[in-house]
Amino acid sequence: MEFVSPEGLRLDGRRPTEMRQIRAELGAVAKADGSAVFEMGNTKVVAAVYGPREVQNRSQQLSDQALVRCEYSMANFSTGDRMRKPKGDRRSTEISLVIRQTMEACIMTHLMPRSQIDIFVQVLQADGGTRSACINAASLALADAGIPMRDLVTSCSSGYLNSTPLLDLNYVEDSAGGPDVTVGILPKLDRVTLLQRIS
Amino acid sequence: MVGLSLGEKHFIHGGIAQDLRSDGRKRLTYRPIYVETGVIPQANGSARVRMGGTDVIATVKAELGRPSQLQPDKGKVSIHIDCSSTAEPVFEGRGGEELSTELSVSLQRSLLGGKSGSGAGIDLSSLVVVEGKICWDLYIDGLVVCSDGNLLDALGAAIKAALSNTGIPRVQVASSASGDEDQPEVDISDEEFLQFDTSGVPVIVTLTKVGKHYIADATAEEESQMSSAVSISVNRKGHICGLTKRGGAGLDPSIILDMISVAKHVSEKLMNKLDSEIAAAEASEDES
Repeated sequence: MEFVSPEGLRLDGRRPTEMRQIRAELGAVAKADGSAVFEMGNTKVVAAVYGPREVQNRSQQLSDQALVRCEYSMANFSTGDRMRKPKGDRRSTEISLVIRQTMEACIMTHLMPRSQIDIFVQVLQADGGTRSACINAASLALADAGIPMRDLVTSCSSGYLNSTPLLDLNYVEDSAGGPDVTVGILPKLDRVTLLQRIS
Repeated sequence: MVGLSLGEKHFIHGGIAQDLRSDGRKRLTYRPIYVETGVIPQANGSARVRMGGTDVIATVKAELGRPSQLQPDKGKVSIHIDCSSTAEPVFEGRGGEELSTELSVSLQRSLLGGKSGSGAGIDLSSLVVVEGKICWDLYIDGLVVCSDGNLLDALGAAIKAALSNTGIPRVQVASSASGDEDQPEVDISDEEFLQFDTSGVPVIVTLTKVGKHYIADATAEEESQMSSAVSISVNRKGHICGLTKRGGAGLDPSIILDMISVAKHVSEKLMNKLDSEIAAAEASEDES
């Protein structure tokens, strides 16, 4: 299948190194301590942060730093075909872990010992790049909650199809089977905090 | 989970007794309702409803399926609600499952009528394409994004809005297929869409009993003080479509009858408000 036309345009009319339109909104979940909606094209995710607060499970308490927890879930209606998967399948667990590790690297956890920060990410619409969208949303929600951070993590994916490197893959490009990589960086510190190559 | 001090509890009880609640509302006043339609383009119909801090999304997806043997002239509708952990940290993992099931079952009872499908808010026979062979299966999915009390009313309103936003593709049956065993071939149009008649879909009014009085559209704080709650679904004609009681304490039968007549009165206002909000949302969606 042809993913890049001879004129150098992709299926959705973007140039190879062009991102989809992004939109962000803070404070979408009124009851959370911090929250954000993040959209990358048709991908739309909500992130909510609760904390820092008392550790719920005492055995997990850390005496020198804050405990960061994360849960990623997809809405039943988020994909094209309606799916009903139980919460906590392997893919969700893996993405939860990735988000947690990425966010842990930028939160100044040593300032909040014996406390817990919960990050909940909910995918409303999935059209490729949910991993990056979730990290961007979580980053904004943490900032909205006023949690001290070294920098705002930003993330984006890229892939390689038809011997052309492509930025910010959508679902069709993502499922084409080419190699893709998700990168998360701290732009001010110029550090890479997430690097994952899939397939 | 709501943590309230003794003073705060007293304040809520006292306010309700004096017909002036903590947010300035009267006992039977709803919070302002905001409706947004077409929020999930991948679905056949979708809506987001906000009432104060409560924020829910409902979507409708239609798939072609086979009608059940017992009711060959009716389509199938199922409702499934999911409580996102963004709404409340206790919903993490399987924590929201109990509430999700309770809400799903209540909504099914209120909106879908009896087992035979009679009395359903949606005309199930309009979903049939070929009797006994092909029908539309409607999957209604609700997601609680933020919860600040009165989830059932908000979800009911969101489902009503999502259904009026739903377009079912027109289906043409290929006439050549006349085999008795085989499924007839169909041609699904991607241009022509049929709208539902949602005038029969009821609204749900939950009356929460706090102290001696009952209130409409309780917030999470008020719900934490409730002794029992009665959810009544009423359609446009003023008929009762469903009734559910929750909460531990018992209710005097005369109070229940009183609640029903009050709910009928409140539902009229809610229905009108909701209809105008849905029309406004549809109009702004068409513009953009």
